[in-house]
Amino acid sequence: MKDILKFQQMVRDGVMGRRDFLAALGALGVTGAAATGFLHSSSALAATPRKGGTVRYANNLHGPDDQMDPIVFTSGIDYTRGRATYNGLVQMRDNMMLAPELAEEWSANSNATEYTFKIRKGVEFHDGSPLTADDVVWSMNRHLGEDSPSVAKALFQSVQEWKKVDGQTVKAILKTPDSDLPAKLTEKQAKIAKMDTEDFKKGNGTGPFVLESFEAGVRSTHVRNPNYWRDGANFEALEITAITDPLARANALIAGDVELINQVDSKSIPRVEEADGVRVISTPTSAYTGICILKNTAPGENDDFVKGMQYIQDRERIVRSILKGHGTVGNDHPVGPAFGPDHCADLAQRTFDPDKAKFHLEKSGITSAELHVAPVRLGIVEICLLMQANLKKIGFDLRIKKVPTDGYWGAVWMKEPMNVVSWNMRPTANAQMAIQFAPGAAWNDTFWNNERMGELLTAQLAETDPAKRHGMLCEMQTLIHNGSGMVIPCHVNEVDGASNKIQGIPSVPFGSLGAYEWIEFAWMDA
Amino acid sequence: MADSVDKTETGTAFEELPDAPPRRRLRLSWSGRLGVCVVAFWMAIVFIGPSISPYHEADILDEALFIVPGSDNPYPETDYQPPSSVAWLGTDYLGRDTLSRTLYGARTTIGISLASTLLAYLVGVTLGIAAAVGGTVMDSALSRFNDAILSIPSIMLALVVIAAIGSTIPILIMLTGLIYASTVFRIARSLGLDVKVSDFVEAARVRGEGLWWIVAREILPNVAMPMATDFGLRFVYVILFISSLSFLGLGVQPPQSDWGSMVRESLSGLPYGSVAPLVPALAIATLTIAINLIVDDVSAHAGGRLAKRMI
Amino acid sequence: MTLLNAILRRTGLGVVTLFVVSVLIFIGTSILPGDVANIILGQMATPESLAALRAKLGLDEPAHVRYFIWLSDLLTGDLGFSKAGAGAGTIGTPISEMLMPRLVNTLRLATAVAVVAVPFAVTVGLLAAMYPGTKLDRAVTFTTLGLISVPEFLVATLLVLVVAVQLGWLPATAYISGQETGMKLVRALAMPALTLIIVASSQIMRMTRATVLNVMSSPYIEMAILKGVPRKRIILRHALFNAIGPIANVIALNLAYLVSGVVIVETVFAYPGLAKLMIDAVQTRDLPLVQACAMIFCATYIVLIFIADMVSILSNPRLRHPR
Repeated sequence: MKDILKFQQMVRDGVMGRRDFLAALGALGVTGAAATGFLHSSSALAATPRKGGTVRYANNLHGPDDQMDPIVFTSGIDYTRGRATYNGLVQMRDNMMLAPELAEEWSANSNATEYTFKIRKGVEFHDGSPLTADDVVWSMNRHLGEDSPSVAKALFQSVQEWKKVDGQTVKAILKTPDSDLPAKLTEKQAKIAKMDTEDFKKGNGTGPFVLESFEAGVRSTHVRNPNYWRDGANFEALEITAITDPLARANALIAGDVELINQVDSKSIPRVEEADGVRVISTPTSAYTGICILKNTAPGENDDFVKGMQYIQDRERIVRSILKGHGTVGNDHPVGPAFGPDHCADLAQRTFDPDKAKFHLEKSGITSAELHVAPVRLGIVEICLLMQANLKKIGFDLRIKKVPTDGYWGAVWMKEPMNVVSWNMRPTANAQMAIQFAPGAAWNDTFWNNERMGELLTAQLAETDPAKRHGMLCEMQTLIHNGSGMVIPCHVNEVDGASNKIQGIPSVPFGSLGAYEWIEFAWMDA
Repeated sequence: MADSVDKTETGTAFEELPDAPPRRRLRLSWSGRLGVCVVAFWMAIVFIGPSISPYHEADILDEALFIVPGSDNPYPETDYQPPSSVAWLGTDYLGRDTLSRTLYGARTTIGISLASTLLAYLVGVTLGIAAAVGGTVMDSALSRFNDAILSIPSIMLALVVIAAIGSTIPILIMLTGLIYASTVFRIARSLGLDVKVSDFVEAARVRGEGLWWIVAREILPNVAMPMATDFGLRFVYVILFISSLSFLGLGVQPPQSDWGSMVRESLSGLPYGSVAPLVPALAIATLTIAINLIVDDVSAHAGGRLAKRMI
Repeated sequence: MTLLNAILRRTGLGVVTLFVVSVLIFIGTSILPGDVANIILGQMATPESLAALRAKLGLDEPAHVRYFIWLSDLLTGDLGFSKAGAGAGTIGTPISEMLMPRLVNTLRLATAVAVVAVPFAVTVGLLAAMYPGTKLDRAVTFTTLGLISVPEFLVATLLVLVVAVQLGWLPATAYISGQETGMKLVRALAMPALTLIIVASSQIMRMTRATVLNVMSSPYIEMAILKGVPRKRIILRHALFNAIGPIANVIALNLAYLVSGVVIVETVFAYPGLAKLMIDAVQTRDLPLVQACAMIFCATYIVLIFIADMVSILSNPRLRHPR
């Protein structure tokens, strides 16, 4: 019976489909009408959101660099606050479906070089002023230009400019065709703020919650927006804070100090699963953590060295033992199975093969190397230690140099010949690859510049034939798999923790707790 | 140094001028002897630990070792395993042998802590006494700089230094030694000042003894006992400080093991009743208590001698 | 008036120390890899966006110019603005606004700990010194040593697991919103305070015992013993009085630690205090914030040590007239 409750919860969380649910019940010996009954009772619950309640959410990171300016959002706590305070033009819903948000509808010209967005009428900012095309144009243009400080700048490279057509219509004029633009608009940085905002700490957006107080590095409080443009959030109020110690975070959830947490570390997963009144929500994503070997310098310029490092990854054990099953095996390219059909399933999986690793390393003539490691994502330090231990067995000396996370992205990443990286899932497979593997891209962190790769990235965005698009995606994944200096042993799940009182958390793989969509769609049982 | 002080067993020195406190032969109590045994045990481990340990500290044990006979699971868990014949004290968060890591860790932990503490004392006591007996200018200059260092939280100081120049063992030793030297400086200076104005020092001054004679024969022996007590504690604080660094993700480089970091790394095993965080914690506790028991005896029985040996 | 002179002199020296600290901190943070723009943009930084953000945040001035701007602002009572929350905009958070609630939290916790730990530790240390070598002394020695040798985070985690998770008596985090009063505040403070009481008591206890025992071996105490003065009376009348200076020093150092060094406890219990803010500020290269925190810690330290020194001087009149 406990299993059935668990499966019902998974249906409600969107982690398990209806068919899977019936199959799982069949395995327990429950079939036919009884099983369907259970299914309906789980979806019935999902259909009746309750209004009210204050929910407390604890993120894994925060600090004085917490932001309320969407274009420099970089951490889960920023994204969470951003989802509460602002809206984007386009929204990502369950099963990676695009839905209209502030843009009621949009259309592209035939070769995807110009997009027209119809802005929703009657939307109000929290200060009472109406949303206009000017606000949209101002907010979106902040991502453009050489000197834009936007962290999403690379995503919008294809855009020439945003233009106002009339009070409720804007146009995006593109430099190059980009069929992914609407999907990219779901990124967490692409939020609409009031034109000419200078003090973002006030959080003047159109979102479902009004920012009540904001103390960077301490907490923020939000109250339900009574003038929201649609039915809006179910919670009455939000308290958003962080508990940086993973053990303390899990303890706080179990002890009932908070209702929601992100990043349940693998060691705490069994405790949260066993504790009463709380549960683990694990969503497969294409986000990954891995080892980045620079191709433009020693030792990474030697292809055999890279191959050796790739074959020494005990991928199965990493997923099984370090991630405790909450991840998927990686194949040294960034498009994981979470991308569904866009993931190239035909490409053979690279497996743990110490003999091949030894062969390639001996062929390279390199016997030792130094790897810079910072805990940029849970599990990466352990992955490197496992790699080190396995390399020791085949007579290769990998020295690990642990460095602090602060300053890492400026001082180590893209500078030291071997370092670790963590990349989040992008809205499309093309975007996921373009950001790192386009020749000359700002964040081409392995310095692998492949002309064919560049051609394919551009061509795929202009291609409309689905079969050809897929073929191109597959070819790109194969190129990265064979040629780049990136070692991707695993894709990691988003593993979050929730009180059982919190229901209806959507399942979107681009961030914690349904990519922050819980804010508007989840609710609290009495 | 000439051995001219009276050494009667009863210890009163009233026939002589008021002078340094009486001395007796060092006799350890039962607790002191226990302390010596424990410290000797750990010192032995420092030297032979790696050669008697069943695995290397970096070894992640194979899953095959943990397969339960008759079970059809070819991939059993290897982390936080309870003590068994494969790993006598169980495994840590990554599936490494706790016993081996504790044995290897003795060398790193005791080595770093001892070196840092000695450095702290060398620097702190020298400068502290110098400030106490030296002129006002020297005292002010040293005290100001020391106050500045001391008033900056040590964790923050370490954070900045390690972020800037990295974390190798020599850097850790220098950093920790210098941070703790500032505390030692204060205590040494304060005790030195107290002693300086005491009767026997005034008497020596009246007798016309030189500055160094007074420092060496009167001041050092008299600050030694409280300083010795502090030494025992300081040693522990160094171990704990390095473990705090590991809490912030600094500290010794993996896969090297030091006891404080081992506790930190395997803290998440605590809710599962794993002994992995407790074994190194116990190692720290036994060593700490042992050293302090000896220090208690030494300071209670022979205040002056330790100082002469230490400084 | 010697005492007044001493006070004035020390106040002046305190200001000098503050200045030394501000310079040290400034140098320290400027040798760190990466600046605040790097940290804000993180992995997503490009050379152009870095330059743009630096210009917006006023980071393109040379370091010494920024230092003197900061110093002159400070002298006029303006702590300046943190980059917190500024984003790519220009308006950050006034540092005084960020510090005040944290300072209150920190002082609350430090007071709660000191009120319990200091009298308790001094008393127990004295008792142990009164009866050295007895069962009481041994018990105190073993317990204090055992407790201090346990890393803070282990003490904290064990307390959380037992008291909060297993028994459910107290919350697992000491998360404070600022509106708590009465029992609610006590409950929030209980766990971190308990952890710190265990940690802070030990050194005070050990040093009290050692210092008193040291004084006990001085000639005049031996004299008193020979004269047949009761031991208790000797300790309370003579030994303790002479041991006050060093004990006051140890207490002062421990109190300073409670204000500035309790980052682990603040992290484990998610307690929004100053120490964590300072670490965060260093890690985010928020220089004005680091400077402000350092000034507070330094001032706290100077005041505490000043008090300890005054106590020393008052308790040992000869220190007032050396030579």
